[in-house]
Amino acid sequence: MTQDDTAAGAGISVTGLEKRFGMLTAVDDLSIEIESGEFLALLGPSGSGKSTVLMMLAGFEVPTAGSITIDGRDCTRLPPQKRNIGMVFQHYSLFPHLSVIDNVAFPLKMRGEAKAARRRRASEALEVVRLDGYGDRMPSQLSGGQRQRVALARAIVYQPRLLLMDEPLSALDKNLREEMQLEIKRLHSELGVTVVFVTHDQGEALTMADRVAILRGGRVQQISPARELYERPANLFSAGFIGEMNMIPAQWDGSGLLLNQGDRLDPPAAALVGRVPTGRATLAIRPERLRVTAADTPGALAADVEEVVYAGAGTLLIARLADGTEIRARVPSANLPRLREGERIGLAFDPDALLVYGEEAAA
Amino acid sequence: MTLVSFTQPDGRNLSKAGITLLMAPFFMLIGFAFLYPLLSLLSISVTEPQFGFQNYERILDTPVYGKVLLRTLWIALLVSILSLFLAFPVAMAMVSSGGAMAVFITACILLPFWSSVLVRTAAWAVLLQRNGIINEGLQAIGIIDGPVRLLYTQGAVVVAMTHVLMPFMVLPIYGALRNIPQDYGRAAAICGAGPLRSFFEVTLPLAMPGVLGGFILVFLTALGYFITPALLGSPQEMMIATLISQQLREFLDWPFAAALVGVLTLFVTAITLVFSRVFRFDRMLGGQL
Repeated sequence: MTQDDTAAGAGISVTGLEKRFGMLTAVDDLSIEIESGEFLALLGPSGSGKSTVLMMLAGFEVPTAGSITIDGRDCTRLPPQKRNIGMVFQHYSLFPHLSVIDNVAFPLKMRGEAKAARRRRASEALEVVRLDGYGDRMPSQLSGGQRQRVALARAIVYQPRLLLMDEPLSALDKNLREEMQLEIKRLHSELGVTVVFVTHDQGEALTMADRVAILRGGRVQQISPARELYERPANLFSAGFIGEMNMIPAQWDGSGLLLNQGDRLDPPAAALVGRVPTGRATLAIRPERLRVTAADTPGALAADVEEVVYAGAGTLLIARLADGTEIRARVPSANLPRLREGERIGLAFDPDALLVYGEEAAA
Repeated sequence: MTLVSFTQPDGRNLSKAGITLLMAPFFMLIGFAFLYPLLSLLSISVTEPQFGFQNYERILDTPVYGKVLLRTLWIALLVSILSLFLAFPVAMAMVSSGGAMAVFITACILLPFWSSVLVRTAAWAVLLQRNGIINEGLQAIGIIDGPVRLLYTQGAVVVAMTHVLMPFMVLPIYGALRNIPQDYGRAAAICGAGPLRSFFEVTLPLAMPGVLGGFILVFLTALGYFITPALLGSPQEMMIATLISQQLREFLDWPFAAALVGVLTLFVTAITLVFSRVFRFDRMLGGQL
């Protein structure tokens, strides 16, 4: 397969998309702009509507409102076979009665390509996914990872400008999954195709995607590059959904943050996420941004150790603030003093590790 | 893949002897109620009136018996093909409709099993008779001027046998279609296949085990079918089962009837062997989807 600049990735514009199943609203007024060549992950818990969005992009479901434009062409009601999209399914969905090469050549056959040409292009696609020489096998003779590669080859063989992936790695074991993540990333940068990838695995989303859209209840919570998503979640749902996050209830008085156990913190202005009205607020801090110090260190939060979980390079400390809030710290095991259950420690942090959310951000 | 595993409560598999013991009642029933009568009948065909193949020679030497045999094969084939074309859409509807509709269709398919074949055949006799509803209906809309002969024809036999045997075609095809994951259709569509191509390239090949299973079931059953041809068919155009019965009951010629049974058994066995060789029964029943 040759790289072709004009046939890189499709630009997609989703506007006011809505899908109702009877009383249930699976997708609610969802709008996303996806740039040409972008790798976008749709991340959310089950029932968040992420798969429904993908089904509508593919054309398997018709939206009840809103529109989908691919490369400037309105595709909202176009049947899937006319969209020229590649798709990799969760369970690969290779046709069991066709050999590997015939599976990969299937889309070319549907496009009326001559037999010799489609065999040649299918072999090329198999080379791209590093399965040359496997053409004559049947899908049932392949391992899970190999099947997934065949499914990938079938999805890219006709050089679609958009590639959809529906949790394609969830059926693979951990090592294979990580290998395939890199493989798909490599393919993405080689082909320049736009990829929309559905997953419920946040690690996968952060590793692979240029941008991650977090969905909940059919609505987009946040669309950001992976780093921003992790370091500055837009609201408490995103904060809790991506990685581990300590959430400490507090009061915001307009200039400082008062914790229930009496500490008063002065977070920098950058720590405030969105608008933070005076009153109830939440202090969020990642466990790996905490350090263990003496209990009376100024600026550190005093807490009682509840559990020490040693895990090689790192150690997880589970402690409790005076008001009962659980707080977790992930610290390097090296140089960590021997801690006992019930021991009072101080948890110190850099000011830029703090995030403050107002009450409305809880929604 | 094993279809059945014999596992004891403690997780150990049963020994060969244990399995044989469990299967014994089944083999005893088959042996006493089926194999023994069949073999003793077949032995009559070569031992009476005297030892030799004279009964079989008579079948070969008399053209009318060959014609009966050919006609039987032809009608069975026709019934199988008709059943296939009627059953496939029904099976597709059963798979694609959900909930109450699927239950309703299944009930329509299974309900006839509650009435005997005799009743269903008699019902066709009522429908097809000279002043039956079909003749009167056709006259009312002016397609025919006077009543035509529908009953006691090959057509009546084919129609009624198709009606009776069609469920045996629907169920295997339904089973095969139901095992095809929905994603295959979607994969075909996203690869650019419209509904028709998707059907011929993906659905039909994957449903073939069910189609062949149903076809064999209907074809073999139709070969030996008795009641419907006997009640609705023309005496001049007999099928082999009717001929056997006639030899037994009217001419009391057991040896010759037994020879006819031998020929029919030979055909059924041969067809089964060819099908299982060509299309691999194990794949059909194991279903490697």
